Amino acid sequence: MGGGRKVVCQAFTTGYIMEIFLQLTLSGLSQGAIFALIALSLTVVYRATTIVNFGHGDFVMAGAFFVYVLVIYAGLPYLLSSVLAILIMFVMGLGVSRGFIDPIKSGPHIGFAMMSISLGYVLRGGARFLWGREVFPMPRIFDMEPIFIGELVITGDVFFVSLIVAILLSVFFFIFYRTKIGIVIQAVYQSERGATLIGVNVRAFHQSMWGVGLAMGAMAGILIAPISLLHPDLGATFLIRGFAAMTLGGFGSLSGAVVGGLLLGFAEQIFGFYISSTLQDITAYLIILAVLIIRPAGLFGRTITVRV
Amino acid sequence: MDPLLKLQNVSVNFSGLKALNNVTFNAFSGEVRAVIGPNGAGKTTLFNAISGYVPSTSGSISFNGEPINGLAPHDISIKGVRRTFQTGGLFPEMTALENILAGLHVEIKAGFLDIILGLPEAREAERKAIVRAKKLLNLMDLASVAEQPVKDLSGGQQRMVEIVRTLATEPPLLLLDEPVVGLSPPMRDRMMEIIRRLAGEEGIGILLIEHVIDLVMSGSDKIIVLSSGELIAEGTPAEVRQDREVLEAYLGHA
Amino acid sequence: MAKVKEQNLITRERLRWVYYFLPILALVIPFIVNEYILWIVNAILVYTLVTLGFNIIIGNLGQLAFANTAFFGIGAYTAAILMVYGNMPYILAIFMSAIVGGIAGFLASVAALRGIRLYYLAIITLAFGELMRWVYLHGDTVTKGSDGLKIPEEIYFLGLSLDSEVPKFFVFLLLTVLVVKVTSNLMRSKIGRAIVSIRENEATTASLGIHTAKYIILAFVWSGAIVGIAGAMFAVLTERVLPEAFGLTEVIIHFGMVLIGGTGSIVGSVIGAITLTTLPEYFRQFPGMDELFFGIIIVLILLFLPKGLVSLLWRISPAFKERYYRD
Repeated sequence: MGGGRKVVCQAFTTGYIMEIFLQLTLSGLSQGAIFALIALSLTVVYRATTIVNFGHGDFVMAGAFFVYVLVIYAGLPYLLSSVLAILIMFVMGLGVSRGFIDPIKSGPHIGFAMMSISLGYVLRGGARFLWGREVFPMPRIFDMEPIFIGELVITGDVFFVSLIVAILLSVFFFIFYRTKIGIVIQAVYQSERGATLIGVNVRAFHQSMWGVGLAMGAMAGILIAPISLLHPDLGATFLIRGFAAMTLGGFGSLSGAVVGGLLLGFAEQIFGFYISSTLQDITAYLIILAVLIIRPAGLFGRTITVRV
Repeated sequence: MDPLLKLQNVSVNFSGLKALNNVTFNAFSGEVRAVIGPNGAGKTTLFNAISGYVPSTSGSISFNGEPINGLAPHDISIKGVRRTFQTGGLFPEMTALENILAGLHVEIKAGFLDIILGLPEAREAERKAIVRAKKLLNLMDLASVAEQPVKDLSGGQQRMVEIVRTLATEPPLLLLDEPVVGLSPPMRDRMMEIIRRLAGEEGIGILLIEHVIDLVMSGSDKIIVLSSGELIAEGTPAEVRQDREVLEAYLGHA
Repeated sequence: MAKVKEQNLITRERLRWVYYFLPILALVIPFIVNEYILWIVNAILVYTLVTLGFNIIIGNLGQLAFANTAFFGIGAYTAAILMVYGNMPYILAIFMSAIVGGIAGFLASVAALRGIRLYYLAIITLAFGELMRWVYLHGDTVTKGSDGLKIPEEIYFLGLSLDSEVPKFFVFLLLTVLVVKVTSNLMRSKIGRAIVSIRENEATTASLGIHTAKYIILAFVWSGAIVGIAGAMFAVLTERVLPEAFGLTEVIIHFGMVLIGGTGSIVGSVIGAITLTTLPEYFRQFPGMDELFFGIIIVLILLFLPKGLVSLLWRISPAFKERYYRD
C-alpha cells in the first residue's frame, strides 16, 4: 500500500522536475540562440582580422535602437525596419574598418581593442544623449498564442527567436560551407598570404567581414529589441555573453561560437533556477574563468603553443 | 683540455618528428666551431636545446662539467651560456644603451629594497653598469646611437648592438645564430673578424650557425655538419670539404 | 636657431628639479581653491596612482590584463572594512590595502604566467573584476551590498583629523608623491628594464639571464599594491564604498587614462588622470555627453597621437622622454 503510493509520488515529482527542466532548457536555448548569434558575429570579424571587437555589444544595441527608431518614429513596419537596420550596420561596418581600423594597423594590437571600445562608447553616449536615461519598450512583435506541448509552454518570443536564429544560422553555414564565396572566405581565413597570391583583395575582405559581422550583430539586436527593454547600457551584457560563448566554444571557432552560445543560455537558466538567482548574472564570468583555467582552448578551439 | 660544452647522444622529439637524433660532440674554449647543414637540419633546434628553450628528450648536455639539460633558459644563461637569435633578439623600443644594460642585468648587484628606496649601493651599481655599457658601445663605434631606440638603427648597427649585448657579461660560451644575415659583404668580414678575435684573444668558445660557406671555411676552427637531425660529419674545414656524406647532403638539397 | 636654444633650455637635470619642486608648489593649492575644486584635485591624486599602477601592466609590461578595478575595489573595501569593523587607524589601513592589493596582483599574475595572453588575458581579468564586484554586492553582511560601506565619521592620519578636503589633500599629496617616487626608482633600474624587456621580446629576455616569471609577478604585485593604496584613498575620498565604482565601465575609464596620458610613461599617467578626472565633470550636465566625449577623445588619440598626450611634451624637448636608467 505504502509502496504503491510512494511509486505514484515519485512518478509525479520526477515528471514535474523533468517538465521544469525542459522549460528551462527551452528558454535557455532561445536566449542562447541570441548569444550564439552575437558570438558568431564576433567570431566572423575575429577570424578575418584577428581583432576582437570590444565594442560589439554597443553595436548590437545600436542595431536594436535603429529598429526601434524606424518603427516608432518613422512608422515603418518591423520587417522593413529590420532590413534597413541590417543594411545600415553593414555600411557602418565597412566604415569602421576603413576609417578607424585601417589607419592604426601598424600600431600595437592593444590599439584595436581600445578603438573598438571607444567606438562603442560613442554609440552608447549618443544613444543616451538622444534619449536621456529612459528605458524603451517596443511594441510586441512576436505576438502569438503560446503553444502547449504537454505541460511545456512555448511563448511567441521563444518560438520566433529560435526559429529565426535557426534559419539565419542555417543560411550562414550554408553560404560558408557550400557556396563559392564561402569557400573564398574559408581560404582567406586560413591564409591571407595565400589569398593575396590568388588575387583576393585582402583589404576589401577585411572591410566586408566587418560589415558582415556588424550586420549579423544587428540581426541579434533586431531580435532583442521586441523582447527586452532597450536601454543604452544593454551593450555590456551582450558583450560579456558573446565573450563567454566564444571562450566556451573555443576562440575562433564558428561552430564553437554557436554551441557556446546555446550552452551559455542553457547554463544561465539552470544555474539561476537550481542554485541561486543571483548566480545568473555571473554565470558568464564563471564559465570564462572555468574554461580558461581548465581548458583554455574551449570545446572546439585549438591549443596554442609558443615557439621560439 | 676539458671540453667547455659536452653533448652526448642528445635527441629532441617534436610529437614524433625527430628534430635531433643522437647528436654527440664537444666544444672548447677559444675555438670557433661552425654548425652547418641544409634547411631543417636541426641547427637552431640544437641551439634551442643547449640554451634551454627546448627540452632534450634524451641524452645529456653539460657545460663546464655541470649538466644543464632541463634547466630554464635564464639559469643556463647565468651559468655562462649566451646566444643570439635568428629573428633578432633586440628590444626595439629601448635605446641601444638600455639594451646593453639589459644584457648586464645579472651583473648589476642591487637588491629590491635598495632600488626602490634609491639607496647609494643601488645607485653605485647602476652607475658602474652605465659606464661599462657606454664603454662597450664606444668600442664598437656605436656611441653616437646610444640614446636612440634600436628600431631606428640600420641592420648592421642592430646586429652589432645585439652582439655587444650578448657579450656584455663576457660569457665563456657564445651561440651565434646566423650573425651575418642581411649584412653587406664588408660588414660580414668585419663581423667574422670580431668573432675570431673573441675566440682567439678573449678565449671565448663560440658555436656558429652559418649558411655562407666561404665564411665558415675561412673563419672556423672546426665544423659540424647536421642533416635531418643527425650529425653526419665533424672536423676541420679541410676535412669536411672532402667528406662524401656532406657532399651528398648538400648536393641532394641543391 | 630659436628651437635649438629651447632644447638646451630644458635638460633632464633641470626637469628633475622641476619635478621635485612641483609638489612643494602644490602645497598652496588648498589656500587658493574652494572645497569642490579641492575635491577634484584629491580625486586626481587618487586616479594618478590608479593610472600609474595600471600603466605598469599595460604600458611597461605590455600585458592586456584588466584587473585594475579588482585591485582598486579590493583596496577600497579592505581599508573600509578594517576601519569600520577593526577600528584600524587609517595609516595602517592603507598599508593593509597595499598588502592585500599586492596579493590580488599575485593572483592576477597567475593567468599571465600560465601563458594566457592578449584577449584571453583581457577577458579573464575582466571576469575577475566582475566577480569581485558580485562579491561586494552579495557580501551584504560585511560590505553592506549596494548600499555601500560607509567609513567611520572620524578618521585620523597620524593625529591629523581627515574631516574635510584640506587635510585629505595633504595626506593624499604625500602618499602620491611617495608612491610615484618609489615607482620611478623601480622603473629606472634593472627591474624596470627587465619588465620592459619582457614586453619587447619575452623569449630573448630569458637568454640574458633574466627570470621572466619573477618579473612578471613583481610587476603585477607592484601594480596591485599601488592601486590598492589608491583604493584606500578612494574610500576616504568618497566616504562610502559602493560596488558600482569597480565595474566594467570603470576599468575602461582607467584604460582611457593610460591611453590618453601615454602608455609606459609616469608623467603620462599623471596627465591621463588629470584629463579624465576633470573634463568629464564639465560634461556631466548632459546625459551621455561624458561617454561621447570619452569615446571621441580616445578615437582621436588613437588616430593622431598614439603615444598619448605625453608625446606632445616630447616634441617640445627630448628631455621629457623617460628613460629606464638613472643618470
